[in-house]
Amino acid sequence: MPVTIYGYRDAMSAFFEFPTENAREILPDHLEPVEVHHGTSIFAMTAFDFNESSVGEYGEVVMAVIVSPLVKPGERLPKSAMYPYLVATTTKAARDHAIERWHLPHFMEDIKLDFDRSTPNVGVARVSDMAGAPIAELKVAAHSFAPVNHLYQSFMADDSGKYLASIVMEGEQSEHEDEKGSIVLHDHAFNKALSIEDVYATPFRELWMRNGRQTFDPLKTL
Amino acid sequence: MPPETNPGSNFAEYDYSNFYYGAGDDPMNLLGPFSEWYREALPNGYYLYSEPLQGAPETRVHVRNRKTGRIHDLINLASYNYLGISYRPEVKEAAIKAVEKYGLGASGSPILSGTFDIHEEFNAELARFKGKEAVVVFPTGYSANVGFISGLMRAGDSIILDQYSHASVVDGAILAKSNTVFFRHNNPLDLERKLGKAKGKKLVVVEGVYSMDGDICTLPELLEVAKRHGARILIDEAHSTFLFGQNGRGVAEHFGLDDEVDFHLGTFSKSLGGQGGFVAGSRKLVDYINAFGRSRFFSCNLSPVLVAGLLAGLRIVQKEPELRQKLWSNVAFLRRRFAEEGVDIGKSNSQVMPVMVNNDARVFAVAEKIQDRGLFLQPVTYPAVPKHKSRLRISVSAAHTEADLETAVRVIASVLREEGVCQ
Repeated sequence: MPVTIYGYRDAMSAFFEFPTENAREILPDHLEPVEVHHGTSIFAMTAFDFNESSVGEYGEVVMAVIVSPLVKPGERLPKSAMYPYLVATTTKAARDHAIERWHLPHFMEDIKLDFDRSTPNVGVARVSDMAGAPIAELKVAAHSFAPVNHLYQSFMADDSGKYLASIVMEGEQSEHEDEKGSIVLHDHAFNKALSIEDVYATPFRELWMRNGRQTFDPLKTL
Repeated sequence: MPPETNPGSNFAEYDYSNFYYGAGDDPMNLLGPFSEWYREALPNGYYLYSEPLQGAPETRVHVRNRKTGRIHDLINLASYNYLGISYRPEVKEAAIKAVEKYGLGASGSPILSGTFDIHEEFNAELARFKGKEAVVVFPTGYSANVGFISGLMRAGDSIILDQYSHASVVDGAILAKSNTVFFRHNNPLDLERKLGKAKGKKLVVVEGVYSMDGDICTLPELLEVAKRHGARILIDEAHSTFLFGQNGRGVAEHFGLDDEVDFHLGTFSKSLGGQGGFVAGSRKLVDYINAFGRSRFFSCNLSPVLVAGLLAGLRIVQKEPELRQKLWSNVAFLRRRFAEEGVDIGKSNSQVMPVMVNNDARVFAVAEKIQDRGLFLQPVTYPAVPKHKSRLRISVSAAHTEADLETAVRVIASVLREEGVCQ
């Protein structure tokens, strides 16, 4: 099976501290959360603005817990690994594609995802459901952009098994820990896995990639 | 080569944090990638760590460059020897006499055969100095936090730590198996939020001086919140004991809150230029920690030779308050000169001064150049500090002359300008 490529205008991501207790409730047993401090794990929200894929242009939101990567001798060391526990897209075609190919757990309704780039060096992604009810608002700030090529791992698990996708992210990247961003999580079914009041609203890390592509190796069964 | 095969990347894309977590079936899996990365990192700046000094940590030191093997004569801006005590003649003489009397080590746990008359004499004098009934002494500052916190707190209790807490504080909390949460650095509002959810016995831990930023804790505000929630408070004065306050007892004394703080922890490795840690408090507290501070009684006691030197150092600190005055005068001089040169020292308001480089890719080149021009100090970079908050850490000493510090300012400012870090 060949690699699968998705091109994006923006991938805005931020890492937030939340209780390890909450992370363990979300994670399947075979995955271990990475802790930023003892008792404090990492919740990551990423908003993608895809402009190239086999299912056309679409927006996607990924809610994930950062986990230990799988390290094997002789293989490239990943920058980090995640367990996406909920993915939502702006189109049904994108959702069906991701469920079928990547076994990603999805919010089964379309969402609205608006990117606001009107403030220099600040990106805002606003997520709402199709009825207009707000779900989340993610704000990230830019530091300085430089080209990167990074390997990430994405773990998935469903009734059919456990899976691992290796993903290379290429593009211009800004990464910093200036604590300039923010998240607002609304009381919505989309956010039911999180103990919202325990998610620290200021990200300790903001990672913004733009004008790049995401290359998936064929899915591995663990 | 970067870890395994990663064409087009370089060592700077990875850091220590990438080699800590790794799932798999063999605990050796991370060794290969780390070794490969470290071999590349070493000549690119990591050699600046652990460079061996060839003599006492005085204000001028001879240091062997790990890259070239050459010995350099450098102005020492790196040692914790804030009062220049470690090499004072009285200290060395006391240690020499002690080695003649006691031999090298204690040869036993403090609860069995490792306590000597000199330990009792030192403990009593230290307790008097701190204005407390008693002290319990640990073999290192690290073990003091680990032993004290895990000796006092239990599963089901809550420990609330400043997010910039030292590793020893965090490890003590882990060992205690208590619920551990972190509040935003020096932020009483966030402490309030975290304490509101805390269960069981509650302990708040702060530090007198934070070792990476050199800022002091906002003790009055944090203490007020802790007391209102019925929490006890421990202050780790590793970098502030013997320096702050009218009598040099620490930051708690500086704020006039010595009696309000429940637990006072300090070390001997900084201002006394020795080694070891302690907790000062009531006789009841010390008896309890003597009984349950496992890192203490499952370790050999401090060498009586070291304790003799510490006792001499403690007497110097009490007899020569002008040492503290000289230190603060040096700190003021350096702050003023850095400000004049446009060098950013962050939030420092102590003898620990970070020279902010704020560029993880450049910090090693900056540090290398500074060492080549005669200064001994180390870079600090992610994950020890946040990404892009890399810095060079300066430890000011009372023993520095104004000429030493002026040279340091000129070298640092010129290198930072050359590297585009400051104007």
